[in-house]
Amino acid sequence: MNLTPSDIAAVALSMKIAITATLISLPFGFAVAGLIVFGQFRGKVLLEVLVNLPLTLPPVVIGYFLLLLLGKHGWAGSALRAAGIEIIFTWKAAVIASATVGFPLLVRSIRLGMDSIDRQLLQASRSLGAPWYDTLATIVLPLSFRGMLAGSSLMFARSLGEFGATIIVAGNIPGLTQTIPLAIYDYASSPTGTTMALSLCLVSVVLSVAILFVHEGIGKKLEDGRSQ
Amino acid sequence: MKTTRHSFLRVVMLLCAFMTTAMPAMAGQLNLSAAASLKESINEMTDKYTAKHPGTTFVKNFGASGALAGQIENGAPADLFISASTEWMDYLKNKKLVDASSEKNFAYNLLVFAGATSKKVTGMNDLAGLDKIAIGSPKSVPAGDYAMQALKKAGLDQKLTGKLVMGKDVRECLMYAELGEVDGSFVYRTDALQAKKAKILFTVPDELYSRVTYPMALTSTGARNSEAKAFIEWLQSGEARSILKKYGFVLK
Amino acid sequence: MNLRFDIEKQLGEFSLKINSEISGERIGIFGSSGSGKSTLVHLIAGLLHPDSGELYLDETCLYSNRKRIDLSPEQRRIALVFQQAMLFPHLGVKANLLYGYKRCRPEHRKISPEALTKVLNLEHLLQRGVGNLSGGEKQRVALGRAVLANPRLLIMDEPLSALDDSLRYQIIPYLRSVSEEFRIPYLFISHSITEMQLMTDRVLVVRDGRISGISTPDELARTNMALSPHGYMNLLRLKDPVMLEGLYHYPWGTGSLIVSNGREEGESLFELSSRDIILFKKNPEAISARNLIECRVAEMFDSGGRKGIVLESGSQRLVAEIVRTAAEELEISPGATLFAAIKATSFRRLG
Repeated sequence: MNLTPSDIAAVALSMKIAITATLISLPFGFAVAGLIVFGQFRGKVLLEVLVNLPLTLPPVVIGYFLLLLLGKHGWAGSALRAAGIEIIFTWKAAVIASATVGFPLLVRSIRLGMDSIDRQLLQASRSLGAPWYDTLATIVLPLSFRGMLAGSSLMFARSLGEFGATIIVAGNIPGLTQTIPLAIYDYASSPTGTTMALSLCLVSVVLSVAILFVHEGIGKKLEDGRSQ
Repeated sequence: MKTTRHSFLRVVMLLCAFMTTAMPAMAGQLNLSAAASLKESINEMTDKYTAKHPGTTFVKNFGASGALAGQIENGAPADLFISASTEWMDYLKNKKLVDASSEKNFAYNLLVFAGATSKKVTGMNDLAGLDKIAIGSPKSVPAGDYAMQALKKAGLDQKLTGKLVMGKDVRECLMYAELGEVDGSFVYRTDALQAKKAKILFTVPDELYSRVTYPMALTSTGARNSEAKAFIEWLQSGEARSILKKYGFVLK
Repeated sequence: MNLRFDIEKQLGEFSLKINSEISGERIGIFGSSGSGKSTLVHLIAGLLHPDSGELYLDETCLYSNRKRIDLSPEQRRIALVFQQAMLFPHLGVKANLLYGYKRCRPEHRKISPEALTKVLNLEHLLQRGVGNLSGGEKQRVALGRAVLANPRLLIMDEPLSALDDSLRYQIIPYLRSVSEEFRIPYLFISHSITEMQLMTDRVLVVRDGRISGISTPDELARTNMALSPHGYMNLLRLKDPVMLEGLYHYPWGTGSLIVSNGREEGESLFELSSRDIILFKKNPEAISARNLIECRVAEMFDSGGRKGIVLESGSQRLVAEIVRTAAEELEISPGATLFAAIKATSFRRLG
């Protein structure tokens, strides 16, 4: 197996985008999950539907919507351009694409974790003098770690495999946005590229498995630290 | 229960019959795989041909020549293959998937740089000053391969890393240029003539790339098909060539 | 401590409507499950919002529909002890204990962690995690955590219900220490009259979302005598027994009480059901029961179809329960002398 420099660039890019997308999504995912699990407000159902939407839409459609939003003539795009910020066809767009398709997975996992928190624990915290934001930070957050970890693992894996939305909104630019799936696509379009495609596929699998192990490891450490 | 089993088997057999009868091509149907840049011209030609020979209908598959060659290699039905470069025709010849004796040259084309940008672009040296440039993926799109040859020869390929957006075929590159997603794209002159917003900014100097050649040939299945043979003959006729000329292809 | 409430709350089919005022340092809230006592307590703590009304703790308005006041739980300074200890699983014992203390304003910090760990015997648990503690240990830590928050009022919501019998009465002294040592008024919720007798001075009785009365624990026990499966439970604190022939002779009243499972050292708490006392008009002289006590009828009361006879011996009292017809037959009246027979095995030691 021999990888060209642009292949290695694709691997590095994939990692960079997956890590960034996961990191920026975690706080939002936590906030949204918290709202859904503990909040009581009108329109909560709408929020749940919106969050789950990317799961039901084909990634290409999501990419197209993102393009509409952030593109040159898009709703947010023109404002961003005026501020000198380019999103489309940059690695930032790839991050946004990954974050968008992975978000429902993240929220779902965190929700599961939060649901298992006994409400009386939160009541205890409040009655001991902690306002809601204190309770959120000192009780809900630590007890949600498991869910957040599972969610970030899922999101990372999803991001590594993201293709449809990425190619629409970030394009296939070697060295800038060509992630592993896009590079594989490039190779696979050409009948002479199948062996190279396979090599990259292998790399992708190895990466995913490694990430899974890392998450399991962190999870175990948390458990050991708790049950002492 | 015996009766439900019976009806279930009946349905399964019907489905099989249906599927197998749908398989063989209808008499008079020709499968064409042609380079993306040939879309409009081939469409006009097949319309004209069917008008004259009502018994012949066409199933057309346009795409990047490399992708098409891969499809044919994997068993996609094709009677006739028109590639935008000799590379992919040679590829299939080596695999004995086309009838080498039927190979003829269809047309030639020119590589241009087209875009809708307001930036000043008059030649290859202005490219380094642009943000994004679309080219077909050289691994499967001839237009991209030609463009990459030109960039390498002009010594610009290293300078442009991170600026080249890969298109899956030449038409996608044109679309990027039309929408303004990129400053400009390497497309054929014939594609640029189809554009509405993008205009030809400069023609790529011929010495920088090998001549854009469209070889055509019958596939090994097509070689056994008399109608395919008739059609490939017609493609060399004056009628066909005048259509090519209309769209801006070079004939000599 | 004075609690004043006039609140309404509708929860599905159940409606709570409480208009009452109660003062004291050790107040009980008594009711069967589904009576609304938990709802009431959640409303007082601010964990549930009333539909309308007012709620005052001493001079502070905790909730007022009219004045648009609704203090959040952390502002009320009312700490809770739950039935399931509810210790924070990701924090150790020490961190749990200090949780409320840290969030307490310095001027309110009257009880120090050192004093508390001493009184509640938690010193040896401080370095432990909360996962492996026994039920009793967990409740002690939960209690300590609530007390260290230095609240104005402590609410204990059936804190003993999840514990084994043997454990329950060991924890009660710790719970009482809240008031005795730390001087924090408390609301003690339970469906056990015995617990009420041991923990509270006044009891608010809740039934079907309404207050059905305020009484002393003793009055409560008397009223429930006929309905309760055990009758009126006499609670006796006995000590310094003399062992004779395997039985414990505890000094009581003008003589002694003979108990089969006593304890040589220290003070013991015993339970004796009113139904285990047999009354004789005349001294029966030879009976199998080891206890035959001559006593005077101090008072009598009605409870359902039964008669409660309050017997006096010296300064001690016992309540016996007989059916009304028996009382008439024996012509029992206040001042009369009776003989009470009690088996040595009828006493149940609680702790």
